[in-house]
Amino acid sequence: MKAIEDFTLIGKTVLRREDSYLMRGKAQFLDDLPEPKGLIHLAFVLSPYACADILSVDASAAKALPGVIDVLTGKDLVGDIKTFAPVIEIEGYRDVRRPVVAVDRVNFVGEYVAVILAESPYVAQDALDLVEVDYDPLPAVAGIEEAEAAGAPVIHSHLGDNHIFRAAFETEDFDARFAEGDLVLEEEFRNGKTAGGMIEPRGCMAWPDPVATNFTLWTPTQIPHIVRTAIADHLDIPESVLRVVAPAVGGGFGTKAHVFPDELIVVALARRYGRAVKWVQDRRESLLTNMHARGHILHIKVSVKQDGTLCGVYLNLKTNCGAYPNHPYSPTLEATGCARMLPGPYRFQTYRYDVSSLITNTCPTGAKRGTGQPSAFLAIEGMMDRIGRRLGIDPAEVRRRNTVRPEEFPYVNVVGVRYDTGSYLPSLERGLEMIGYDAFRAAQPKDRLVNGKYRGIGICNYTEVSGTGAPGWRVRGFAKMPGFDSSRVVVEPDGKITVYVSQADAGQGHYTTFAQIAADRLGVACEDVTVVEGDTSKTPYGTGTFASRGSVVGGGTVIRCSEKVGVKIRRIAGYMLDADPERLVLKDGRVADPEDAGRSLSLREVAETAYSMNNLGLPQGEEHGLEATDYYDPPMVTMANGTHVVQVAVDPEDGRVEIERYAVVHDCGRVINPRIVEGQVHGATVQGIGEALMEEIVYDADGQHLNANLLDYLMPTAMDVPELELDHIETPSIDTVGGIKGAAEGGLTGAVPAIANAVGDALSGLGVNITRVPLRPSSVFEQIRRACTEKEGRA
Amino acid sequence: MSAKKVTVRMKVNGKEYVREVEPRYLLADFLRHELQLTGTHIGCEHGVCGACTVLINGKTGRSCLQFAAALDGAEITTVEGIAGDGPLHPVQEAFHDAHALQCGYCTPGFLMTTIEFLQSNPNPDRGQIRQALTNNMCRCTGYLNIVDAVEDAAKRMREGACGA
Ligand code: FES
Ligand code: FES
Repeated sequence: MKAIEDFTLIGKTVLRREDSYLMRGKAQFLDDLPEPKGLIHLAFVLSPYACADILSVDASAAKALPGVIDVLTGKDLVGDIKTFAPVIEIEGYRDVRRPVVAVDRVNFVGEYVAVILAESPYVAQDALDLVEVDYDPLPAVAGIEEAEAAGAPVIHSHLGDNHIFRAAFETEDFDARFAEGDLVLEEEFRNGKTAGGMIEPRGCMAWPDPVATNFTLWTPTQIPHIVRTAIADHLDIPESVLRVVAPAVGGGFGTKAHVFPDELIVVALARRYGRAVKWVQDRRESLLTNMHARGHILHIKVSVKQDGTLCGVYLNLKTNCGAYPNHPYSPTLEATGCARMLPGPYRFQTYRYDVSSLITNTCPTGAKRGTGQPSAFLAIEGMMDRIGRRLGIDPAEVRRRNTVRPEEFPYVNVVGVRYDTGSYLPSLERGLEMIGYDAFRAAQPKDRLVNGKYRGIGICNYTEVSGTGAPGWRVRGFAKMPGFDSSRVVVEPDGKITVYVSQADAGQGHYTTFAQIAADRLGVACEDVTVVEGDTSKTPYGTGTFASRGSVVGGGTVIRCSEKVGVKIRRIAGYMLDADPERLVLKDGRVADPEDAGRSLSLREVAETAYSMNNLGLPQGEEHGLEATDYYDPPMVTMANGTHVVQVAVDPEDGRVEIERYAVVHDCGRVINPRIVEGQVHGATVQGIGEALMEEIVYDADGQHLNANLLDYLMPTAMDVPELELDHIETPSIDTVGGIKGAAEGGLTGAVPAIANAVGDALSGLGVNITRVPLRPSSVFEQIRRACTEKEGRA
Repeated sequence: MSAKKVTVRMKVNGKEYVREVEPRYLLADFLRHELQLTGTHIGCEHGVCGACTVLINGKTGRSCLQFAAALDGAEITTVEGIAGDGPLHPVQEAFHDAHALQCGYCTPGFLMTTIEFLQSNPNPDRGQIRQALTNNMCRCTGYLNIVDAVEDAAKRMREGACGA
């Protein structure tokens, strides 16, 4: 077998094969697919109330509109679709199920109240206005504090209060060890609710075969296999009759890694009507009803020695679940994710956390790039700066003193997560050097005011959970999350290769990178490898593409599977060449015997033997065909790491934050395609800039969503993005196949705390305390104004 | 509500089309569903994201904000019209080389914006490029590689023009 060190294509920038058809307008996104005959178009009537009883639904006028096929309410669908809920098995979690269309109560603005079936999307839209729903509005709660207040309306009465999840963790002798510090600092951090914001809205289309016994569902999902399992379960149909296909997917970012009520509905209606059924959401629906993320309150206490080292950390985290748990993760995803990821690159071994998730009358929250990590690092990295300010130690030095040292790897952190390898300190040093940290600090005046603007630097040192395997999901209660991914590698009769992977690409470039991997391992050209994924009928079962798992788990299984086929190729070639298979080498599309330089076979010749296309026959005991299947369950988690260092200028005139310099050091272990990794870092970092400076979904006290459009929900444009100075460090994992670590989320995780800390540093002279993102100009301006008034008051 | 259909004549990517559509039918839907030119994408339908950008009589416009019926006689270029099945346009080549697209959903809009922009400003600086791109949103790339690509496309097109 080829040693991992002799990679030929892994690690090289190969330009993407996806680009050509995408740039010619030929890609087939959901709404670009040819429409089957007799297609029914759906539109949903959305609740305008955050909480209300549904007294009656009168659809007679809508039904009378020419082109309307039917209008169904929640009651009409009860027999077709079971109430919807994830399967979570963890102490402290309480089950909440929802009807996919509300039956007698709505619990957030945008919840489905009725579904219109029409011959065209225009008619379906017309009919929306004709459905008359009589509501009895009830008091709503939108925020965490309102939901847990005494006397708050209980949203799901069987729970008795609004808690859906609570968990706690404590290391031995926590109180005694925590008390060993010289001082205790505490702070409360918050972040706004945000959205994945992919430019392609969601939608889905189901098609029954002519006898309506088999169904195909096209849905832009990151998790086709999990979608299929969930639909079969909730519709009570065998998984074998359902095929789920992810067509081209216009960005996922975790939002598309959920199972949604509409996916269940289109399949159920295709079954009921024996016709194809399609639904595409608009941007307003997308922002009202797709999963939201964040919206956390983190109360953190740290106990510190005089030298800045941490003695212990206490975290109390509250998350806003929204009206219902998301499928398949439930709110435990962000809650346990955040609390378990908070230790990051630091060495403290005394930790306690209490987390809780509250039901509110808002859109459900779920996965989004970074999951709990941007929140976790906002808190712990925010504390690093506060420790520095309080003790008069440079914040970079505080981090150095607490960071896991190179000689301590492999290191097991305080919650039992193994860090096999990493470049925590080198990456910090490199980031500081890139930005010219020492010189900046030396020149920085105490009041931070330079040329009329407050200037500061912020650091975020982060770890990035990636490639979570089955044990990693089980500890967090995800009973039905497989954890593994799989592949099937086939050498076709003509010697070309097809790779089937259980993943689903949403722009990550899998069709290029997985081809690179297989080509590398089998010694063929990239062009000779075709990659197939995102189709449950073609690929073996697996978990999908989210939580930075594509390269670790997808890449890992393709490496393993290609090598398995390599063994069979050698066995058959050894028989054909009368040589020891062990010594044969796969290179340039041939199988060669290095001890007999003249002798080699093309892959095609070997394949012809395997497929019985010549008279050679097979060696004794060998089966026909030339393929292998592999299921790869990676370690619990694999930690990537990195450092962001940001220099900002804050304009006291308008509160605007300008990013003047931005350095990123990034270590995702073995790199498969440097260009693609760089793209992931850019994209994630800019989403982080969005979360730090502008993005927030706003609900008023009554649970009305105030900014469900792209003019008011602000996402970064080309004008909002600084030039990023990027450097990579490559510290391969020793636990994963190929040494690969994930790369997709760290950018976001690093950006939010680094920017918040930079603004905090810039305004530290004024005594402004930055504890909440996004830092929109209005809120920064207000904080500066208040600090100035207080100062004047004191003077 | 559905009204009487009107006749619309349009030249799209050099080809003449005549269709009967409702007066409220959007240009984006006309291109995508009547002409099956699905390369023009819809991201917001309220004029912000720019995914639906096409050239209308040589100028960029948002096909989600225009009625097809109001464009009777217009000449439209969509992403399918840039290079067809032939060799890539220099702007497309530059996007490919710079890894300026990931999911590619926004890309048709960016290509149309870039092509128009470079016609009016063949030698832009990065600030001007960013300014020109603000009307298009991309959630995947973080824009930097797109700015690189536009810069590089300008260079390729200037060199191409000299060579010609
Ligand atoms: S779809 Fe037209 S601007 Fe967004
Ligand atoms: S490449 Fe995905 S939105 Fe731009």
